[in-house]
Order: sequence, then C-alpha cells, then structure tokens
Amino acid sequence: MTSTPSNERPSLLAIRDVCKTYAGVAALDNVSFDVGKGEIVGLLGDNGAGKSTLVNVMSGVVVPDSGSISWEGQPVSMHNRIDSAALGIETIFQESALVASMSVTRNIFMGRELTGRLGFLKQRAMREASAETLRGIVAIRGVKSTEQLVSSLSGGQKQAVAIARAVYYKRKLLVLDEPTSALAARATAALFEYIGVLREQGLSSVLVTHDLYDAYKICDRFVVLGRGQVVMSARREELELDDLFKFVSRG
Amino acid sequence: MTGTGFRIRVEGLSAFPVGTGKADKPADQERANLLPHGETGVNNKMTSRQERLVLEEGTEAAERPSVGEISGTPSSRVKRYSLMARLSPDQRYRVRQSALDFTALFIVIQVASVIASVIWPNSFAYINSANLLTGFEAIPLLGITAIGVGVLMIAGEFDLSVGANFIFSSIVMAMLANQGLPVFVAALIALAIGCGIGLLNGLITLWFRIPSLITTLGTTGIWTAATLYVHGAASETFTTSGAFATLTSGSVGVLPAELFWMIGLGVFCWAFLQRHRIGNHIFAVGGNARAANSTGISVRRTKLIAFAFAGTLAAFSGVLAASRVSVITPGGETDLPLQVIGACVIGGTALMGGSGTVLGMVLGAALLYWIEDVLLLLGAPGFYLDAFVGALIIAAAALYTVAKQRRVS
Repeated sequence: MTSTPSNERPSLLAIRDVCKTYAGVAALDNVSFDVGKGEIVGLLGDNGAGKSTLVNVMSGVVVPDSGSISWEGQPVSMHNRIDSAALGIETIFQESALVASMSVTRNIFMGRELTGRLGFLKQRAMREASAETLRGIVAIRGVKSTEQLVSSLSGGQKQAVAIARAVYYKRKLLVLDEPTSALAARATAALFEYIGVLREQGLSSVLVTHDLYDAYKICDRFVVLGRGQVVMSARREELELDDLFKFVSRG
Repeated sequence: MTGTGFRIRVEGLSAFPVGTGKADKPADQERANLLPHGETGVNNKMTSRQERLVLEEGTEAAERPSVGEISGTPSSRVKRYSLMARLSPDQRYRVRQSALDFTALFIVIQVASVIASVIWPNSFAYINSANLLTGFEAIPLLGITAIGVGVLMIAGEFDLSVGANFIFSSIVMAMLANQGLPVFVAALIALAIGCGIGLLNGLITLWFRIPSLITTLGTTGIWTAATLYVHGAASETFTTSGAFATLTSGSVGVLPAELFWMIGLGVFCWAFLQRHRIGNHIFAVGGNARAANSTGISVRRTKLIAFAFAGTLAAFSGVLAASRVSVITPGGETDLPLQVIGACVIGGTALMGGSGTVLGMVLGAALLYWIEDVLLLLGAPGFYLDAFVGALIIAAAALYTVAKQRRVS
C-alpha cells in the first residue's frame, strides 16, 4: 500500500522522502508522511521503528539528512521547537509538557504571560482566560480551580491541560507522543474524546500510540513504521482492527 | 452529592454534546458557560432566576465561584466552618502555596520565647533591648543573602560562593574608599563585583553544564584566594560617616537601617518573583527546565539573571556588614553559604528548585538566628548550636518533603 493523503482534506503537513541516520543506522529511511487539515493520523510501530525520530522531525528537534518538509503547501525548514511552534505545531511529550510545581494558569501562559507595563503579570486576566479555556472539557473534570498546582492533577488531566494550552495558542497540529500510556481506561477515553472534539474544530493531530483499540476508534488514517520505513499507510475505512494488529506486530 | 456545597447540573455545557440537550438560547448558553459544569444529564431548563437561587443557597464565600474557578464544588475535605472554607477554591490554592504554614510555626516559636522570657526574665533575657537589637542587626545580613540564594535555588541552582563574594567585594570597597574614592562609588563597585561573581558562576555552570554546587565550590576557593592576593591576611578597617553611614548603618528609633533594607528588598523580590514575568520564568526554569524551554523561555538567560542576583545581594550584604562592623576579616564568613541555604530550606524553598517564597527565606534566616540566640540564652555550649541548627535543617527538609507528598496525594 502506498502513502494515501486524504482526498477530501487539504494538506497541512507533508513530509517527503525524509532520511535520518544515526551512527550508520537509518532511523528514517525515505519516509513520507502526510497530515491533512482536521485529520487525526495514528502513527504506529514497534519500539525502534522510527516513531520518535519522526516526531522529533515534526517538532523541529531533529533536522533530517535529506528530504523535504512543507507546511500548508510551502516548503519549510525547522531547527528547534520554537520554529515548529511558530508554524503552529505543538509537540506534547509525556512528562515534559508542564511544570508540576506551578499552577494550571501559570502553565497555560508560560513563556507568553499577559503583562502590563514593566513586565508585571496581569494575573486576573490570565486566571479568567485559563478558566474559560478549560471550562467544559470532560477530560479535566475534577480540577476545581486553575490555581491548583499541576502536581495535584491526574495524568489525564495534565495531558488535557497541555492540549488545551496548545488550543489556546491556536496551534494547527498536535503531535501527541504516547499520550495515554500512563492513563487508566476512562481517562484515555476522555482524552481521545477531547481530541475528537478538537478535530471537529479543525485541529489536526498525530497520535503516537500503542493503544490500538482506542486509536482505531478515533484516527482517520494510520501509518505504521517498521525499521525506519513506512510499512503501511491506509485510511480507516480501508482496514479492520485485526489488519492493524497484523501490520504493527509484523513491523 | 459530596461535600457541603451546591452543585448545579446543567447539560450541554461541555464543549461537545455528550448528552442530548443544549441550552436553547444563546444568552442562556453564555450564562451557563460562566457557571461551573456539573455532571451532565439532569436539568438544562434552568432560568437565570433559578440559577441565582441555587447560587444563593450556599451563603459562604467558599461557594461562590471566583475568577479562576472551573468547578464550584468545594472540596469535601474542607470543613464548612474552617477558615479555609471561607475562601474560594482559587484563594485556597493560593494560600496553600504561600509561606503561611511556615509563618505560623515561626510565630509559635516567637510567642513561646517571649513567654519564657517574661517568666524567667533573669535567666532567659529574650526581650531585652540589647538582645533584640543584636538580632535586628544580624538577621538582615543573613536574610538579604538568603533572598538572593533562595531566588537562585528556585531557579534550580546553588551558590556556595556567597561567603567569599561577601568578603571579597566588601574588602575591595573598603580599600577603594580608604584610598580616597567616594564611598558611594566604592559601594557601587562592590555591587558590580558581586554581580560579576554571580554571572561568572552562571556562565561556568551553563557553559560547561556542570552542577552549580561544584562551580561555586570552586569559585569559593578562587575568591577567597583573590581576597588574600589583593589585600593580604590582615583585617581592613572601614569607617564611614555622613549619608552613607546613615543609609547603611543608621537607625530609625531603635530599628537599624539593615532591617529596612531587608524588608524593602523582600517586598521588591516578592513582587519580582510572584508578579513579574521574569520571576515567573525563574519558577518555570527551576520546576521543569525542558517544559519551560519548549514554551520559548530562555533557560540560560533566566538562570544567569538569578545567578547575578544572588551575587549582587551577597555583595550588598557585605557592604552593610562592613559599614556596621567597621572591620572586614579575610577568611571570614565561611559558614554563610550553608547558613543561607539552611535558612532557605527551613523557609520552604525546594532544594530541587521550582518553589519557594521570599517570606519563607527571610523568616527562615530569622528563625535560624533566633534559635541560636535562644540556645545561647539558655547557656548551651557553642558546639551544641551547630548540632542543633544542623538537625533543624534536616528536620525542615524532611517535614517539607512529607508535607509535599501529602499535598500531592
């Protein structure tokens, strides 16, 4: 099967023939990867298949040896996370997304604080905006105040806050690296539901996960990597959950 | 229903339709959005009047949602009539993050000391003007340095070179002033030296990516040697008069100038840490440098600011001490770095960075001094002091670790 960008969706991110070699070992070998607008792509594969490297390429942390990346039809080059964020890509890694010792509000506005003259914080405005952003998200139910420290939140709530932050800053593509690996079943469902809601609002996501059951329910398309190459790329309509299992386990 | 508070059940409040109903009018929807969302599925035909009624059922302040609140249900663990319950969840979380618990401990110890001194005025002369004055003069020197080191600790780094910095910058000031340079200029040069020592600590630490504990252990030796190199081992005298003396070692009534400097700097640093963008970055960088970096905060620049700040305050403390004591002894203040780190830890500053309060640092320094003072008044031998203070630092660190774990779970 070949790479199949969705027919009906305009392209958001298009990675073409990207290679990356670490000490003679090809982490990515001519990988092409597409994300359409408003599309959730499941990025699957065994450990060492090249998922992390591809995620790092998308977040700008890894610069590929060859190949091209285009964003909304324009060729781009990214050299760090600031570059990718400027385009509208937010990479959310499991443990490093939020500062646990700070409040939810302070995390949402981290690095982009609302300030008045002389750089003093507009605390009230930030509290109002963060409460407004988080209100109604089922995945953070149980969080009583945006002044709560992030360390007091559950894993699912933390992920949801990190995603809500990306939404608040009008990011267009979320790259979620194993968002549910440490979550209970209910929290996973709530989080995926939230990502689904965001799709309705036009936000695209790349979901790196081992959780095939839940991923199958939500993703529009699946890309399976194995030994640095694209093993399979197909829309959900084209395959059954069993097929997915076969491809992932075969690598 | 759990807890004591009201709970409003309104459907269709979540960002996506979970249930079946939705608030029918846009105005209703808007009003509903301002309310905390409850569980879905009961009653969505609530008029504004009903909503108000429900809101008014809970009369306590705790039950009115405040600005940053997401859900209005107060925690069931908070008792209805406790002080904490009178606060909104917003305020409650902010109080928990303040140095309030530590302040309470501090006040208890102070009250106990005062009572003891009233009962045994002769053997325990705690409320004695000489004793108190010595305290007010000594605490700021510790406290001001502790604020600088504490801010640096929040950023996730240490400075062991504050003692050497304190001596080196003040001795250079004294030498320059004694050679005829205007004393204000000499003092500014001392502050610049302190700032430079801090910056150098930061540059070495960040450039070579080594722990700042090691960097500053090394620079302690370097600056102690530098003091001996530029000055020699003899003490330097430093006598001042006029405006400089009034500003640095004068007094208002019985209260010495240093105390006002410490209070002023404390307020400034509180505003800087809690209310300013850079202060916010300092917390972020110390709490999780990777997360801070990924939001665009420059970890290096933020840490450098903190290093420079710690160095400057150590030098400032040295200037005040030189003016007060009039003699600077090379090789002195070897205890200072560990004392101020101890004061910060006692005051609740996290050893791994990311949290701490200015009030905690200042009160930690005061407590450290006063415990020594009380032990002296009780006639304990000198070596007891060190043991007691050491034990206190360990106990404080252990206590905060336990408290933090309880808070998280």
